[in-house]
Amino acid sequence: MATLSTPAEPPPPFLRSSKGRRFLIQAAAAGVLLLFVAYLFDRASKLELGLGFMDERTGFALANQWITTFESNDSRWVAYGAGVFNTIRIVAVGIVLATILGVVMGVARLSSNWLVSRLATVYVEVIRNTPLLVQIVFWHSVVLLQLPRISEAVNVGEVVYISNRALAIPWPQERGSLAVVWVILALVALVVAAWVRNRRLVEEAETGRSTHANLYGIGVFLVLATGAYVATGLPVGIDVPELTFNDTGTTQNYVGGIKITPEFAALLFALVFYTGSFITEIVRGSIQSLPRGQSEAAAALGLSGYQRMTLVILPQALRTMIPAVTNQYLNLSKNSSLAIVIGYSELFLVSSTILNNAGRAIPTFTLIIGTYLTLNLLISAAMNWLNRRVQSARL
Amino acid sequence: MATEAAVQPRTALTIASARRWLKLNLFSNRFNSVLTVVTIAFVVFVVYQLLKFVLVDAEWGVINANRRLIAIGRFPQGEEWRVWPPVWLLGTLIGLSLGLWSRITAFGLAVILLALAFLFGLMFEGTNALLAAVGVVLGATGYLGTQYGRLSPRALALAERATRIGWIGLLPLTVVLLLVAGGVRTSLWGGILLNVMLATVGIAAGFPIGILLALGRTSSFPVIRIPVTVFIELIRAGPLIAWLFLARFVLPSFMPSLFALDELDIVVRAMLVLSAFTGAYIAEIVRGGLQGLPRGQVEAANALGLNGLQITTLIVLPQALRSVIPALVSQFISLWKDTTLVFGLSLFELLSVGQATLAQTDFIGRQTEVFLFVALIFWAVAFAMSRLSARIEGQLGIGTR
Repeated sequence: MATLSTPAEPPPPFLRSSKGRRFLIQAAAAGVLLLFVAYLFDRASKLELGLGFMDERTGFALANQWITTFESNDSRWVAYGAGVFNTIRIVAVGIVLATILGVVMGVARLSSNWLVSRLATVYVEVIRNTPLLVQIVFWHSVVLLQLPRISEAVNVGEVVYISNRALAIPWPQERGSLAVVWVILALVALVVAAWVRNRRLVEEAETGRSTHANLYGIGVFLVLATGAYVATGLPVGIDVPELTFNDTGTTQNYVGGIKITPEFAALLFALVFYTGSFITEIVRGSIQSLPRGQSEAAAALGLSGYQRMTLVILPQALRTMIPAVTNQYLNLSKNSSLAIVIGYSELFLVSSTILNNAGRAIPTFTLIIGTYLTLNLLISAAMNWLNRRVQSARL
Repeated sequence: MATEAAVQPRTALTIASARRWLKLNLFSNRFNSVLTVVTIAFVVFVVYQLLKFVLVDAEWGVINANRRLIAIGRFPQGEEWRVWPPVWLLGTLIGLSLGLWSRITAFGLAVILLALAFLFGLMFEGTNALLAAVGVVLGATGYLGTQYGRLSPRALALAERATRIGWIGLLPLTVVLLLVAGGVRTSLWGGILLNVMLATVGIAAGFPIGILLALGRTSSFPVIRIPVTVFIELIRAGPLIAWLFLARFVLPSFMPSLFALDELDIVVRAMLVLSAFTGAYIAEIVRGGLQGLPRGQVEAANALGLNGLQITTLIVLPQALRSVIPALVSQFISLWKDTTLVFGLSLFELLSVGQATLAQTDFIGRQTEVFLFVALIFWAVAFAMSRLSARIEGQLGIGTR
């Protein structure tokens, strides 16, 4: 009877119910956040925030330019653009080379050859545990600046010159107005070649007969590209670097070709070796995570070691390693900012020089972080696209 | 007799197995044989050049003459006593830890002796050598005592406890010793000391920050989750050197004048940035650990009647943190390497000390020696930590479950 007459427990007052507590906590957090943001705005309002200073004359020159032709009379936006281009240049080359190095060393790390796998291990353990900045300074001041002076430049067959001013190598140079047309035609040839290769691959999959798809693809591309090259009147030549001399006969400078400066090379080497060591471990990990049966089955089919690696193991391992490798690409792009120490004029060096001259810290930093954010998002988007393609590919 | 008889066939076996090993591991086919020969040539060349440089060509006087700068930078004369007690405690703790939780192999002993010979040959002299020797003796005593001292289980448990407390207390003790009684301003810290302090303060402050951020990011309250996510992603988007420049140029104008916060030393500001930066990265590591936790854990804790705070601190965090210890050590290694970046703030850390010695007229052109030495110091610490991480990983059985 007593239990029956007990009235149902009244619902707790709103603020003590779990819903009410959630509301209270969130309201308090929002209040603190609002106060903090208000404080930041109050502080920031006392500073100059506009980007107007970026339109003014820059007033300093940039070394390490390629394609860009920035001069000190141009506006700061132009200087910034040149810096961004230099960042993209080093990041793009660095990503490609670091990936190649990482995959090669990752495979070497698992080589059945004891010496090779040991050497790869030593490479990883030495490079990964040394600060990148030390490596950049090392490449720059111990290796590249110790090369012979330009007056004693090492001459490799009259086409490549090595000195501590720059490494000069031959480079394509447009000769006629049709160079752009030829580049476009070559790209079209590439698309056609890829289509031919794809067709033959499908045929191979259907009939089981070898169709030599790669051979056909390369052949089609070479024939079409060469044909276009002749048809447009040989629009691109090779520009070979030459040394110039002053009156007394000592070497002064290079002319022609393309010059790879010690700053660019030091940053590139350091970034490639450093990032490569991390990619090595990622490649090793993803190869090891494959079931042993894959390698054994491939061996049972009579594939050689090279075929096992390139046709069976790596294609599968690549699928699992893309997210981790993407992270390393992002690190590489952020680490390129360390160039400020050796004076390769990329985005961060240019903008901190602008900051020194104009003294507008907050807008400049917003610009810097915004640019890196954009760059990282672009890399992530590209890699996500690749990841989706690879994940959905037929095996 | 019996032992000799047993040894005889073993030697024969060893030669045969050595030949088999060579055939199997170095000359299994033509490609591998060529690879082996090329690799041997490369290794011999590199090792020869390196040894020739280190032992014959190099002039290590630049290191010897600048050892004070390298160790403590522009630390004031007469204040060095502040540095030694932490060094002694560190030596003792390393000895105790090795004795309690590990064992020094013959190879390990050789490495330790080599490192000590290197340190005493190049870095310590006179009184300093004696003071450093105190640390070595303390460490050796700690190791031998715990390893061979036949301690009772109670004494062992006590020693373990003392060691843990010692590791936790090491950083506060160092900071207090450096700063008490007319202490040394942070702006005068330098050399290896500065790198060590930046890295340890960064990780010690970054760890709790990271846990809070990770909890915030996985919170069910959007008011907390969204700002925390924005903060973490923003920090991770920019390069550390940009954030350090922010500490130099922007932070002062945003600090309140309360407690003279707006006049903070650049070293302290760098520590703030390093902590926040490390915190953001640790948050992502811890979040991984939180997400890796089976749902049943929280549900079971709920069923036991624990409240939210209890579930987080007693059930979720201990397990999540345990699984991410190796990743946390990696983060510490990367922070240790990143302390070189304060170079950009004109702070006198190890790499900038190296750069500065090259401006001395006696040592122009000695960059190879200097940078090899600097690289070796950074590498040795980072490598030791990475071994530690691998060891912990093995003991926790992560990845094998």
